Amino acid sequence: MPRWVARGGVVLFGLALLYPLSGLLVHVGPWRWDAEVANPTLASIRVSLLWTGAAMLIVLLVGTPIAIYVARAAARERLWWQSILILSILLPPLALGILLSMAFGPSGWIGHWLNQAGVRLSNSTAAFVVTQVYVSIGYYILGAIAAFGSIPAMLEKQAALLGQPPWRVFWRVSFPLARLGLAVAFSVAWVRALGEFGAVMVTAYYPSGMPVQLWVNLQSFGLPAVMPLLVVFLVTALPLPWAVHLMSQRPPHA
Amino acid sequence: MLDAHIFKRRRELTVDVHLQMEQGASLGLFGASGSGKSTILSCIAGIERPDAGLIRFGDLQLFPLPLPLHRRPIGYLTQEPNLFPHLTVAQNIAFGLGGRPTAHENGWLADLRRSLGLADVWNAPAGRISGGQARRVALARMLARRPPLVLLDEPFSGLDRQLVRELIDGLLIWKNSMAFTMIVVDHQAHVLERLSPCVAVLERGRIIQEGDWEQVRAAPATDLLRKLLAPL
Repeated sequence: MPRWVARGGVVLFGLALLYPLSGLLVHVGPWRWDAEVANPTLASIRVSLLWTGAAMLIVLLVGTPIAIYVARAAARERLWWQSILILSILLPPLALGILLSMAFGPSGWIGHWLNQAGVRLSNSTAAFVVTQVYVSIGYYILGAIAAFGSIPAMLEKQAALLGQPPWRVFWRVSFPLARLGLAVAFSVAWVRALGEFGAVMVTAYYPSGMPVQLWVNLQSFGLPAVMPLLVVFLVTALPLPWAVHLMSQRPPHA
Repeated sequence: MLDAHIFKRRRELTVDVHLQMEQGASLGLFGASGSGKSTILSCIAGIERPDAGLIRFGDLQLFPLPLPLHRRPIGYLTQEPNLFPHLTVAQNIAFGLGGRPTAHENGWLADLRRSLGLADVWNAPAGRISGGQARRVALARMLARRPPLVLLDEPFSGLDRQLVRELIDGLLIWKNSMAFTMIVVDHQAHVLERLSPCVAVLERGRIIQEGDWEQVRAAPATDLLRKLLAPL
C-alpha cells in the first residue's frame, strides 16, 4: 500500500477522533451566565481546583514512597502489589462510589469510628477529597512504579557507594531520572480525579465539583448553561496531561 | 587491613573464601567465568549480602550487620560505567564530593581531567560520550573521593589495548600516590599481572591457589588453571 494512502487513513482517523471538539462551535443559543448559573458554576470550579489539588497532594505524598518501595521489591512481591493497585483502577466508578459510601458510612468499620468522632464522609469536603484520592492514586502509583522501575538499580547503588545517603540518592539520581514518568503518572491521576463523575456523584454530590455541576447545569438549564463551564473544564483538565505527554515523547537529549 | 570471610550460596555455586590483605596491598582474583570472582567483590562492596561470614576493613565492620553503602569507604568499578546520564561528565566526577568542591578538591579534579584526557568532554552530557570515554569518567569518579579500598571488576574489558595500557598506567600511579588497598577481578591474566603482583585463583567458588604470578605460572594447581594461563 502506498505510504500516502496510509497517511491519508491516519489523517481521517485523527479528524474523527477530534471531531467531538467541534461540538464547542455548535450553536446552542446565547450562553447563560446569570447569577443562577454563575454562582454554583464558580463554586464548582473553586471546589474542583482546590480540593482536587489537595487530593493530588495526598496522592503524591502517599503514592511516591509506595511506588519506590514496590519498584524495588522482588518480582513476586511487586506483582502482588500491582495486582491490588490495578484492582482500584478496574472498579467501575459508580461501584467504587457506592462501596466508598458504604465503607465510610455509619455502618462501615472505619466509617463507624469516624462518625463517632464527628467526621462525616458523605456529601462533605472530606468525602470529595477521599473519593478523588481513591479514584486517582492507583493510576499515579502504577505510573510511578514504571518510572522508578526503569532506572537501573545499580545507578542508585553506585550513587550510594559514592557516599550519598538515601535521601540524596533520591534527589540527585532517582527523581531526576524518573521525573518525566512521574509527571505523566501525575497528570493522568490529575485528569482522572478532576473528571471523576460516577463515584463523586454518590459520595459527594455536595460540594459539587465541575463534572457534577456540568450535569446539574445540563439537567436544570440545558446546553446554554453548560457551555461556559465546559470550556473551563477542558482548559483546566487537558493542558497539563497533554503537554506532559508530548514532552515524554520527545527523544532524550542524553 | 582487609579481613574478609565470605560465604555466599548461589544457585550455580557456593562461594566460600577467606581473604586477608594489608593496608595498601593489591590482589588479583583470577579464574574462569562463573568461578565467583565478581560475587566476592560484590559482597565486599555491599551490593550483595553474604549468607554468612565476616568482612572488616580497618576498624570498620562491613558485615554482618551490613554497613549502609554510603558509609563504606569503597570505590567500586565494574564493566558497566554506570554514569548518571542526566549529569555532565564534570558533575559525574564531582558527584561523590558532595556540594561545592573545595579549592583543594578542584585541583584534584583538574588533575584527573588532565591525566585521563577528559578536557574535551568535561561539560558534555554523560549519556553522549563514547564507551571508552565513559570508562575513563567512571574511573575518575571513583578516584575523586580517594577511597581507601578500591574494587575493580573487569574494568577494562572490551576496551582497546592502547586505552587499557593508559588506564592501567594511570591507575598504578594513583595507587602509589594514594596508597589504597586494591582488589582486581579479571579473566585476562596479563591485565591482572600488570595491576597486582599477587594473585588468588578461584575455581567453583573456592581459592585453589595463592601467591605471586611467577609461582602460579610455574606450578598451576589444576588443569583448568594451566589452560587459562596458556597462550592462545
